Amino acid sequence: MAATKDSKEQKYDRQLRLWGDHGQEALENAHVCLINATATGTEILKNLVLPGIGAFTIVDGHIVSGEDAGNNFFLSSDSIGKNRAQAATELLQELNSDVSGNFVEESPDKLLDNDPEFFHRFTIVIGVQLPESTCLRLGMVLWSASVPFLICKAYGLIGYMRLMVQEHTVIESHPDNALEDLRLDRPFDEFKSHIKSYNLSIMDKKDHSHTPWVIIVAKYLERWLSEHDGQPPKNYKEKEAFRQIIREGILKNENGGLEDEENFEEAIKNVNTALNPTKVPTSVEDLFNSEQCNNITAQSSSFWVMLRAVKEFVYNEGSGSLPVRGSIPDMIADSQKFINLQNVYREKAMQDAAAVSKHVESLLQSVGKPPESISEKDIKLFCKNSSFLRVVRCRSLAEEYSVDSINKDEITSRMDSPDSEMVFYLMLRAVDRFYQLHSRYPGFRKSLRISGAF
Amino acid sequence: RPRGPQPQGLADSLSTCKVLVVGAGGIGCELLKNLVLTGFKNIEVIDLDTIDVSNLNRQFLFQKKHVGKSKAQVAKESALQFCPSASITAYHDSITNPDYNVEFFRKFMLVMNALDNRAARNHVNRMCLAADIPLIESGSAGYLGQVTVIKKGLTECYECQPKPAQKTFPGCTIRNTPSEPIHCIVWAKYLFNQLFGEEDADQEVSPDTADPEAAWNPEDTAARAAVSEKDGDIKRVSTKVWARSTGYDPIKLFNKLFKDDIMYLLTMDKLWKKRKAPTPLDWQQLEVSPNEEAPASGLKDQKVLDVWGYCQMFQDSVETLSSQLQEKGDDAELVWDKDDPPAMDFVTAAANLRMHVFSMNMKSRFDVKSMAGNIIPAIATTNAVIAGLIVLEGLKILSGEMETCRTVFLNKCPNLRKKLLVPCVLDPPSANCYVCVSKPEVTVKLNVQKTTVLSLQDRILKERFGMVAPDVQIEDGKGTILISSEEGETEANNNKFLSDFGIRNGSRLQSDDFLQDYTLLVNVLHTEELERDVEFEVIGEAPDKAPPPQSNQEEVNSITNGNKDSAQPSTSSKGRHHLRPLTSNSAAVATGTKRKYSETGESSAKRPRTDQSDAADDEDDIVALD
Repeated sequence: MAATKDSKEQKYDRQLRLWGDHGQEALENAHVCLINATATGTEILKNLVLPGIGAFTIVDGHIVSGEDAGNNFFLSSDSIGKNRAQAATELLQELNSDVSGNFVEESPDKLLDNDPEFFHRFTIVIGVQLPESTCLRLGMVLWSASVPFLICKAYGLIGYMRLMVQEHTVIESHPDNALEDLRLDRPFDEFKSHIKSYNLSIMDKKDHSHTPWVIIVAKYLERWLSEHDGQPPKNYKEKEAFRQIIREGILKNENGGLEDEENFEEAIKNVNTALNPTKVPTSVEDLFNSEQCNNITAQSSSFWVMLRAVKEFVYNEGSGSLPVRGSIPDMIADSQKFINLQNVYREKAMQDAAAVSKHVESLLQSVGKPPESISEKDIKLFCKNSSFLRVVRCRSLAEEYSVDSINKDEITSRMDSPDSEMVFYLMLRAVDRFYQLHSRYPGFRKSLRISGAF
Repeated sequence: RPRGPQPQGLADSLSTCKVLVVGAGGIGCELLKNLVLTGFKNIEVIDLDTIDVSNLNRQFLFQKKHVGKSKAQVAKESALQFCPSASITAYHDSITNPDYNVEFFRKFMLVMNALDNRAARNHVNRMCLAADIPLIESGSAGYLGQVTVIKKGLTECYECQPKPAQKTFPGCTIRNTPSEPIHCIVWAKYLFNQLFGEEDADQEVSPDTADPEAAWNPEDTAARAAVSEKDGDIKRVSTKVWARSTGYDPIKLFNKLFKDDIMYLLTMDKLWKKRKAPTPLDWQQLEVSPNEEAPASGLKDQKVLDVWGYCQMFQDSVETLSSQLQEKGDDAELVWDKDDPPAMDFVTAAANLRMHVFSMNMKSRFDVKSMAGNIIPAIATTNAVIAGLIVLEGLKILSGEMETCRTVFLNKCPNLRKKLLVPCVLDPPSANCYVCVSKPEVTVKLNVQKTTVLSLQDRILKERFGMVAPDVQIEDGKGTILISSEEGETEANNNKFLSDFGIRNGSRLQSDDFLQDYTLLVNVLHTEELERDVEFEVIGEAPDKAPPPQSNQEEVNSITNGNKDSAQPSTSSKGRHHLRPLTSNSAAVATGTKRKYSETGESSAKRPRTDQSDAADDEDDIVALD
């Protein structure tokens, strides 16, 4: 077991550096359904099988044609005449033995007629080159089951992709350039007493130049607040003055020149971001106000239960702030001082998560669910990421296509611009409609399937 | 009979034209698939590499059973299985091998690069310019990628824009006063070579007594430096010889590296006036009081062990590596490879122990590997997109529509204009390019009394100007041959100084690379005022003159430059502080982080430009376009 884990780490090394072990875990727990193993379909599946999804199932009622064998790398001339789902599964399966490949020799319409719940089991369904009627039918089934549906089409050099999902919740959204959560503007008690344990004025030179910048800023901020009616530096001028005060704290050598204290330089450099007020981001505030957050039921997903618990925390123990994240950036300091500081934040984060956990527990109880249905680990992760939570919502296909709710104005105004790609959208829609009426694609004499050429 | 959207004429030319794919890694595999599906029938592919387990997450023509085999050969066989009608020729070889001369390149209608390092890119660029064959250049890094087209006389060549310099560290930072984990990682990699690999005088790991900072006054510094020129460092025998004499006893090695050498450093007390002094470690002491650590969660590689954990990793890896060395026989050398577990364990352990000695926070094996190997993340999806774009540009070239070719960037997120793929117009050749203008000429500032012929050859002509096998003639009216690419002809000159051959301020050196069909005239500007550790400067491309990182968010793109052979942060004695511009890197150099493309301010020129340090990995993925 350990050996296979090691070899996976080795095989997946280059991608683990992109999406981390949680990303990999999500991938490995996924069961992906592909409808129609066209060239586009198998290309998509190839890029999912290689990085190691848990399983895939190909649904395809077609027989492999000569054309398929010519434009699809995962169908060979030997497979002509065989079922396309089976033939493609065999070759795609070879790409990665960690993935379980399955196939169903059936058209999606047949499955929808006989067993629409068949599609509920998947993490995502990818439908390629499906006629409009199938997209709408399947879309309805998946929408109500909350299974994401990705619709793909390719015609020559034109391609189309449309994701449909009622709601997709993201805990780890991996924001770029996220601000640190240091609470310098609202220090918690443990942090305050940690700051007190430092006395910059009686330190020897070595300790002075190895004091973490967070402590330096906190110390001078205390002084500033006492001299400015408790108001932190706000505008550029005040921040500049604050930087100057820190600069004056740098030790002098025998000749009166400044010692080289990189930690102070670091403190000065970080003044701006360090003074950023701690507050609940508006995106999270919006989620707090949403229906799903305020109306927790037995059907609510753990995301919404945890969100509500965090909201309770903010309005109670948190006094208006989210749980402390618990991580601090690398900084110039000796190991011991750094670790001590890190522990202050870490312990506070654990305390906060424990408080959130209590709220989770009582929420679960109130809807008749066992408290262990959400793990401590998940709650900690949720708290750590509480500033970055995201929820993605899409329109349903039915809504997009219905005459009553179509975005008529936007389409018309886009058509006025010569560079607009809206024309492709309309033409693709027209092709679908044409197929619906004539059971063949425009430009083809008989009813021919079109498969993506590239 | 691919039924593409191509007109019949193009389909015919696809089935007859011969194309070359350089590299069968991440992009190369995808490209081969696309080429055969598009109807290309005559394909040659070259790659010197063999298949590694870490390739399998994306290089889909390879499977576990192929590990260790030639990439080019297996890629050919796998592609033929799927598409038996194509004719594919595979070469398991380096593209810089002289067999692949200008005549070889002229066989092709089109050359497509799917490379991972700058040296090979420079070389293929020159070969395609010499043969006047269109070249499609490409690279990827994580979610980012880029494709561009190079055609002699019409577009910029690969070397038209100065390449970002590579980060180097002063030798004394590595040897005496590391302040960041990367310094300890570089030290650990040097140590690997000193103990088990090829010894390199530029990769010294013991305390540097000539550190100017360690002396109390300038005279003292000079005196110490003078002594060390003669007598060198505290050890008199090579590290390897000494290690061998102990039978590679891990504990003796440990105590020398992390106790005795550190105690010696402590005697250089000037160094620790302002810095936190290092704390020596003692094996025997650590052994009796092993710390306990709560097991962290997550992947094994991503955990940070305690000191004793790294002591044990050090011991185990030294034992494994020394027995590997023994099996290979006398004079054997190991080559460091980030994907070789004992080699990676050794560097992880040694680097972490040194970090601990210097009061830094230790790093997980996963993080050390990333820095030590300059690893660039890589996934199939990005490579598939890039390979698709390569074929589209190729089809334009073959249809005679060169003017519609673009350089295309693949972004991580849609830009402000909601584009994930951003095409930019190709720029015309740069008038200042030292490669693609009709008579390339550069001016190099150096000290003729201190620069040896060997360093002219290796550091300047090969590393900096990307030559593979230069011949150098002095324009002194007599045509004195300074360097000959024929083995043995001028080796006697190697350790002589340029001034020994009458080279002085204003001398002109004609440097030829026969294979690349490339002649570069080097004007010598003598100076005695180079900074310490700087060997030379190229005029007009001063060290700090990397293009400014302008940020028009529209086209900003960030990409790394994969780099197999230079998968180590360079360091050592040159480049007193920070960056040294080494456009054409070679095996000696590289390092890396991120490359940024930023749009240059000019109106129509949408061409993003590179600025950056550099990075390196194996396989695919690179991009140092521009």
